[in-house]
Amino acid sequence: MSSRRQRSRQSGASRITDDQIADLVSKLQQLIPEIRSRRSQKASASKVLQETCKYIRNLHQEVDDLSHRLSGLLQSTDADSAQAAIIRSLLM
Amino acid sequence: MKNPNYPLKKRLASRFLKALEKIKYNMSPSPVSIEEKRRRHRAVRGAAYASMASSVGPRRAWSRALLRKMRERKRARRNPRNADTRFGLNQLCDVVPGGEAMDSRSLLNETAHYIECLVAQVQIMREILHSSSSSSSTTL
Repeated sequence: MSSRRQRSRQSGASRITDDQIADLVSKLQQLIPEIRSRRSQKASASKVLQETCKYIRNLHQEVDDLSHRLSGLLQSTDADSAQAAIIRSLLM
Repeated sequence: MKNPNYPLKKRLASRFLKALEKIKYNMSPSPVSIEEKRRRHRAVRGAAYASMASSVGPRRAWSRALLRKMRERKRARRNPRNADTRFGLNQLCDVVPGGEAMDSRSLLNETAHYIECLVAQVQIMREILHSSSSSSSTTL
């Protein structure tokens, strides 16, 4: 008895071609500081995706660190000055 | 004595048996891996609840809830999940929220937007920290 599952999985209309992936990936490259500057030598799609993951993980870590510091800030200052700082920076 | 559940049981049985047939038809021949066995188990269990829900229809809250869940799962399966390992695309699934349920094109678009948002968020948080540390009333 043949398995039909595998055959139908790839026949979806939105199966993207290698070229389309490469195109979207090169757009991503512009967003990654680590490899953005090397536009002349276009990084391989695998490399860009690898760096993208690394970059996102770093950003997650930054959000984590900054959250930690901000929460400490909220604790040690009185509510008014923390709010004033937030309002000021949002208006900048 | 009439069994008041008999029509329901009849409906249940016919739907469930049809579902089992479908599962059997899609089964791969032996040898069967552990993963395949798990998949079959899940499929049968899914079929059990699916037959219950569709037999009862929208008449009850529990069946409506089940039907809703089934519709969501069906939609997720129609859009191919990211089993695309080209260029290491599947790595993105770990870091982009909802990535596991996206097709490759969506995943790449979503990633770009997600990065822009993350960068903006980090900038805001830095600015807040910076502006409050420069106001002299704070001691950390």
